[in-house]
Amino acid sequence: METLWLLPAVGCYTLSAILFLSDRMSGKARAGAAALFLLGAGAVLHALDLTARGLQAGNIPVANFAEALSFLAWVTALAALVLIVRLRMMVIGAYAAPAVAIALGVSSAMASQGRVVLPAPLRSVWLPIHVSLAIVGYAMFILAASVSLVYLAYESRLKAKRPLKSDGDRMPSLEKLDRINYSLLVWGFVMLSAAIITGAIWADATWGHFWSWEPKESWSLVIWILYAGLLESRLTVGWRGRRAAALTIVVFAVLVSSFVGVSLVFPGKHGGTFG
Amino acid sequence: MAQTLFIVGVNHQTAPVAVRERLAYAESDIAQALVRLKQKVASVAEAAILSTCNRVEVVGVAADPEKASDEIAAFLAADRGVDRSAFADALYRMQGREAARHLFRVGASLDSMVVGEPQILGQLKLAYAQAAQSGTVGLVLHRAFHKAFSTAKRIRKNTLIGHGAVSVGSAAVALASQIFDKFSDKTVMLIGAGRMAELTARQLKTIGIESLIITSRTFDNAVTLARDLGGTAVPFDNYKPYLRIADVVIGSVSVTKPIFGPEEFEAIIKERRYKPMFLIDLGVPRNFDERLNSIGNVYLYDIDDLGQVIDKTRAEREKEADKAEEIVEQELEAFERWMAGLDLVPTIKDIRYSIERLRELELGRNRGWIASLEPSERERVESLTRSLTNKLLHRILLGLRQGTNSADDNAYAAEVARRLLCGEFDLDESEFEAIEEDDDGGI
Repeated sequence: METLWLLPAVGCYTLSAILFLSDRMSGKARAGAAALFLLGAGAVLHALDLTARGLQAGNIPVANFAEALSFLAWVTALAALVLIVRLRMMVIGAYAAPAVAIALGVSSAMASQGRVVLPAPLRSVWLPIHVSLAIVGYAMFILAASVSLVYLAYESRLKAKRPLKSDGDRMPSLEKLDRINYSLLVWGFVMLSAAIITGAIWADATWGHFWSWEPKESWSLVIWILYAGLLESRLTVGWRGRRAAALTIVVFAVLVSSFVGVSLVFPGKHGGTFG
Repeated sequence: MAQTLFIVGVNHQTAPVAVRERLAYAESDIAQALVRLKQKVASVAEAAILSTCNRVEVVGVAADPEKASDEIAAFLAADRGVDRSAFADALYRMQGREAARHLFRVGASLDSMVVGEPQILGQLKLAYAQAAQSGTVGLVLHRAFHKAFSTAKRIRKNTLIGHGAVSVGSAAVALASQIFDKFSDKTVMLIGAGRMAELTARQLKTIGIESLIITSRTFDNAVTLARDLGGTAVPFDNYKPYLRIADVVIGSVSVTKPIFGPEEFEAIIKERRYKPMFLIDLGVPRNFDERLNSIGNVYLYDIDDLGQVIDKTRAEREKEADKAEEIVEQELEAFERWMAGLDLVPTIKDIRYSIERLRELELGRNRGWIASLEPSERERVESLTRSLTNKLLHRILLGLRQGTNSADDNAYAAEVARRLLCGEFDLDESEFEAIEEDDDGGI
């Protein structure tokens, strides 16, 4: 199902990604404002697209993998905008904007398969709650991984005694990146936990049992345990900085590969979405 | 006679500090000195004195800048009690465009010892304010200084000339700001109370680090410095326990081998729960084992590393300086155009007056029949004459202002225009009337 807004949204995101990346490569902040504006414009167009789909479906538009990916891309774009504007983390755009552009691009390439109807047993008040929680959680993990990539890049520059690009005072400090990474992980973890709990309640209401060990559920649990371990090591041992950043990226890689794999290979009752 | 901007002075490139310090004025003396200068050097129409540790310059305006420069050089020698031969070779003189360029470059910190350093603009503003107060600023200096300020501002905004660290202290601050986000909750520890460590600690205090621990082989030195900087002195034989609360450690003691090994430090960082540490090694031989840099969340910079950071800044600033020079040239163009236009100002005023006077004369001569008109028609006659003279005036001004590239051309054009248009109409009125009667007859 195509809407009028989708292609312009993809276009805005892509241009924004290119501008963010060119600033990041050149180490200057020439196109920052334009890149930010385009990211915002993309998110607005994208929101219109999602609304149109939602109105048509009579529920939040997450009936298949493509739709869920689109929704995730939108939440990520919003969260990235918040990070950039509120925390003056312009550099995060160079990671988040391409991720969003690619995700929506992939989603729109997959989505041209006609109207998707949600199976009757899944139409429930739990659907928007469960799915939104999960998707917000994933968006947090995407941004945590992006922040971690920035951290690793800056950290290796400092260690190699090649610090101080001429835009030195515009770069966020390592301490700030580490702190933001931690907050994102905490929020992502809380959302993921809530998504798993609401999913279980919903499953109980629909099928009469909380947990059925289908691949999606099992992998969710694995991911949950990995993130729990990541947070625990920071709280007890005090692991932070480089090690925390690297682990954030590793766990995120596990998350992406498992969920993409599960969604495409074992659709199960999640019907090929990753929500 | 046209007024010309000129500059006489010495700076860090032409004169050693021994000469500069003898010529320099104290800030509080400048107003008085300007008054004396104005009294003694009659050929100077406007003047300002810029006196900093890197330069002593008189910026002036005179009809004959050569003569004025000579007189000012003599004045400086007499006023400062310095033998003229002591600075004759170091003295530079500039006038016109060259002088304006120099003023703009000074303001933009392109002529500074450390290119891009920000103090000079403030010093230039002070020099202007003092001259304005002493009443030695006129139209030209007012314009020249303000153009220098706006040029400097434009350069600050559009180039990175002021970016980066150019001293050990500022390099340390720049690095610390890349590691730490907040400074109020950080602690600096000085191992060794040397001069460079002190300067670095002072710089770190300027960005908000409050807590300071100082240890030194000579405990008294640590105590003195601690009192001075507002820190705590701890004895040298028992400072290591404090390392676990130190976020920045500055080492500057003389040693034969590093004061910590990596294993010892690994234990410290673990106790800190891996909170980052910034180690600044100002010692030669080095105080910290270079392997410390490979411990997680430890960032070690020795004196050479800091030097590299500074060198890089210098190179970047030089690159930016090229862009800045271009901006200076653009602004110079604008200033030159203004200067050239300045010669026209009295001429334009006269022409405007003459034409307006002509119009009034004509209206006066026709008072009779105009008075017999309806008010609305009278209005129209009035506005017709005004529009005619305005259009004529506009063309003349446009013609005069065009191609005002060289002051000489301008002066010539102005002279011609004046001769053509600013005759004494009152005296020649009979002649006018004769012509007009002819015209009437013609019709």
